[in-house]
Amino acid sequence: MTNQTKSQFIAVASITSELSAVMVVAKEISLAAANAKAIAFRAGDKAKGFQPITDFINELAKETIELVTNINIYALVLYRLTVDEYQKTAAYNKFELAAKMAEGAVYAKSMQEPVDHARLSMQDCQRQFKRDVSQLLGQLEAVMHHARAARVIAANSRIEASQAGEYLQSLQAVAESVDKAAHTIHDNVQRCRIALSIYRNS
Amino acid sequence: MKMTKIYEGSHQWIMFGRDEGKPENIIDTNQYVVRTPNRCLLLDPGGAELFAPMMAAVLHHAPVDQITDLFASHQDPDVISSLGLWDQALTNAKLHAPAIWEGFLRHYSCESIEYEPIPDNGGTIKLESVELQLIPAHYLHSPGNFHVYDPQAKILMTGDVGAAFEAPDAPVFVDNFAAHVEKMRHWHQRMMPSNQAKRVWIERVRNMDIDILAPQHGRMFKGDDVKRFLDWFDALQVGIAV
Repeated sequence: MTNQTKSQFIAVASITSELSAVMVVAKEISLAAANAKAIAFRAGDKAKGFQPITDFINELAKETIELVTNINIYALVLYRLTVDEYQKTAAYNKFELAAKMAEGAVYAKSMQEPVDHARLSMQDCQRQFKRDVSQLLGQLEAVMHHARAARVIAANSRIEASQAGEYLQSLQAVAESVDKAAHTIHDNVQRCRIALSIYRNS
Repeated sequence: MKMTKIYEGSHQWIMFGRDEGKPENIIDTNQYVVRTPNRCLLLDPGGAELFAPMMAAVLHHAPVDQITDLFASHQDPDVISSLGLWDQALTNAKLHAPAIWEGFLRHYSCESIEYEPIPDNGGTIKLESVELQLIPAHYLHSPGNFHVYDPQAKILMTGDVGAAFEAPDAPVFVDNFAAHVEKMRHWHQRMMPSNQAKRVWIERVRNMDIDILAPQHGRMFKGDDVKRFLDWFDALQVGIAV
């Protein structure tokens, strides 16, 4: 296996592991939003500005979970394509070697067609991989966009929490946990994007 | 790779083996080809590492599009791990292999080659005017295992039965049976699990008219050495690991 193929396998496989952590964190945001909603309800008018924020956070968390679920499915397709590309490249290399070793054989020329066909298959796989990487990068960008939005909401939450009197500490804790979670999601997804982006144009 | 024609008539049998470029840490194997005017059957075509030299060697005898049939005696990687490569190289081929191994062999990738499952009681492969018999040899050593008998050429291809491990420059036929025995003994005692299966096989094979007994490893047996092998194997206690 070439170094390029190995690093391709690792890049694609690492997406699944990074995204499983993102999934856990997204669910934590959803839980924080539910907690915040309960606190805001108890705080009544004192946390009036906070209430719509909790719905928004919950919606954002759900969308993130949905995006990540779809990305995981797509990442599996990409992983299978990587395996396919590896097998087709191996076949092409073996066919070329056989053709070379068969020089002088009565039927050596008959090997040309399998060699050509293997080369085309390998190149098709490589092109498909690049297309799929681009699409996956787009999906990952959408998750990062949600994470950035969550951080903005967390900042607004802190402002609203400061108006909530004795509920200040609880609501600020919620805002803090949302911000931390969004930061983690952003970083994990950024790592996936960096790992994959070298294959978009390679 | 060394090529030795072992039968010439209306069709040919060619033995391929003793590949000098073989990686050191994989076992040597014999591959066989049955060539008729327009078709070519590869018997136990070999492992993935052997694909390129094997294909190159076959091209001395047949073009790619006339390689119409593969046979796998059983499921071992040295027999058939090249299947995924043949699958991509051949446009119109069949694999004749034990029915019980179909789900397993497909792990080597078998999308364009048509799998022809061989039922436990055997069958035939028809290659133009040649009819080869598929002889059950279960538990020798694989639970799903077949040998190939050509009544016209009087050749029995026996997979792992009769196997021995030789130096790369060893002759292709046994020339001193007594000396050859020690190269086979441990393999057969350790790898063949069942004395009962061995007896059933020997009973079946003693009734066949065989000039050449052709295993998948080591030298072939011809003439009187065929009977010597059957007598020796008959007396050998196998299944020694339990």
